[in-house]
Amino acid sequence: MGNVIEARGLSKRYGRTMAVNNIDLQVPAGRIVGLIGPNGAGKTSALKAILGLATYDGHLSVLGKDPASERAALMEDVCFIADVAVLPRWIRVREAIEVVERIHPRFSREKCQRYLASTKVKPEHRVKQLSKGMVVQLHLAIVMAIDAKLLVLDEPTLGLDILYRKQFYTNLLNDYFDENRSILITTHQVEEVEHILSDLIFIQDGRIALDCSMDEVQEQYVELMVRKDRVDAARALAPLFERELMGRHIFLYKGVDRETLAGLGEMHTPSVADLFVATMSVGGAA
Amino acid sequence: MKRFKALLLREYWENRVAFRSTPVALFAIYMVGALMTLVTFNYFDHEFQTMREAVRYLAQFDESIRAHGVYLWNLASSTLFTVVLGFVVFFYLLGSLYDDRKDRSILFWKSLPASDTLTIASKLFTAMFVVPSLFWLAYVLSMLALYLIGTITVLVLGENPWTLFVGIGNPFKAWGLVLVSFYAQAIWALPVYGWLMFVSSCAPRLPLLFALVPPAVFAVLQIWIDFLRTFTLKTNLGGILWEWYANNPMINCCGEVNGRVDAIMGIPITDTFDHAPTIANMLDRLFSVQMAWGLLVATALLAGALWFRKRATDN
Repeated sequence: MGNVIEARGLSKRYGRTMAVNNIDLQVPAGRIVGLIGPNGAGKTSALKAILGLATYDGHLSVLGKDPASERAALMEDVCFIADVAVLPRWIRVREAIEVVERIHPRFSREKCQRYLASTKVKPEHRVKQLSKGMVVQLHLAIVMAIDAKLLVLDEPTLGLDILYRKQFYTNLLNDYFDENRSILITTHQVEEVEHILSDLIFIQDGRIALDCSMDEVQEQYVELMVRKDRVDAARALAPLFERELMGRHIFLYKGVDRETLAGLGEMHTPSVADLFVATMSVGGAA
Repeated sequence: MKRFKALLLREYWENRVAFRSTPVALFAIYMVGALMTLVTFNYFDHEFQTMREAVRYLAQFDESIRAHGVYLWNLASSTLFTVVLGFVVFFYLLGSLYDDRKDRSILFWKSLPASDTLTIASKLFTAMFVVPSLFWLAYVLSMLALYLIGTITVLVLGENPWTLFVGIGNPFKAWGLVLVSFYAQAIWALPVYGWLMFVSSCAPRLPLLFALVPPAVFAVLQIWIDFLRTFTLKTNLGGILWEWYANNPMINCCGEVNGRVDAIMGIPITDTFDHAPTIANMLDRLFSVQMAWGLLVATALLAGALWFRKRATDN
């Protein structure tokens, strides 16, 4: 299967600032990609371009379509939850379901109602009567009932408590994801998504700072916790990043021989958060 | 077509208060008005004596005069609906492409496979045909109820309602004319609807202000500059708008037509058009040069609204 998203030289300019600066991007089918970057890095701008919500420069193809000119057709195969709480506040649950059913050819009312049955969301409720967590449950139920090829989630769990956040990703993995679908997620809560991601893309100042699969992360990156007397030896191996934690030095290496490192201290695979901090600190040298 | 219907349904649901409750409230006002009239008569007037006299007095008139009176009464009773309809459509259009940008639900609507063109078309169609039809329905129901109340009253007073007013004056003609005038007005108003949607699509905040202030400032400046240059008040935006309003095909007041009291369309300050409420006169407006210009302006403004809508997100 080909790439779900393919971007070449994608740029988005707002006045003098380049929100997205000439990036190349490929998302193959059947992957869960985390698009991670600090605030203002261009994540949302890139997503908006992918979803046909904004104009852009460069080449961009999503499921073989040009998002800017074919948004309506594209949305038959793409779903997105952009932030929590974008469901219209006036709408009733049954109206939301009906309107999506009438507009979306791939929506299954039965599926949606099945997902909702396990929640406290009732058909007669208006969105404004629901708690933030319930609104997200409703939105997720609607989206999961759509047989789409690509699901884009932009900060889908922002402002939710931990129970809802956990449940959100559990539902997504158990009831939705399969090898024919792709999911693109942006979030600040990296810890929550790292175990479900298959690929990582770091974005910084509108450029891609890192683009690799989680397998590659495990293969190539090593975090080494070094005792004080070995610090100089560790530094000599050109670490990407160094930090200090409670008197111990922690180094991050890419592609350094593991046997060499083993003698210097304790090795483990870095968390996405650590990798992110390291990558952001060195300005995309990884 | 299925999507278009779904979008129309969305507009109805979103604006339930304006589209459903308002006409119902107008119906209620008519009913309360009628009942208050009866109660007032009953209060001051022992056993409806004055009303009985009035009915007998009316019954003496020639049937053709009474028929015309009934016809006028039917047309004139639409005025309240016409005026409120105007306000409802005005504020609806002003919010049509703004409200979902403000509450960010545009991100939800844009996640559905409905094109921006279809969305704008559904909103315009709602303003032009759905809302007027709902108001017209409430108007007809109000008239039926008034006929019923009138019939019972006249029966109680011992006269024959059929020969007095029910059986004469063909209310269907008046009601049909009102409906057609609503639709004709919607077409006549297209440049203004286009302007409201354009403002709604691009105003960063307070669309009401953006809709009213720029044309007002522009019109005043135009008048002032014209005045300085030539000391005459020639065609300017204010004049065009006034002309547009005066010639609108809505039946909104009574006036003198051909030497007798009649319902009229618009305000007869000009003789560009015949103001008598006939289908021919409505068509005369819709196939005029003025209308052609109006359509041109509307097309440009709606194209602008679409341009902005395509680029609109939550900020």
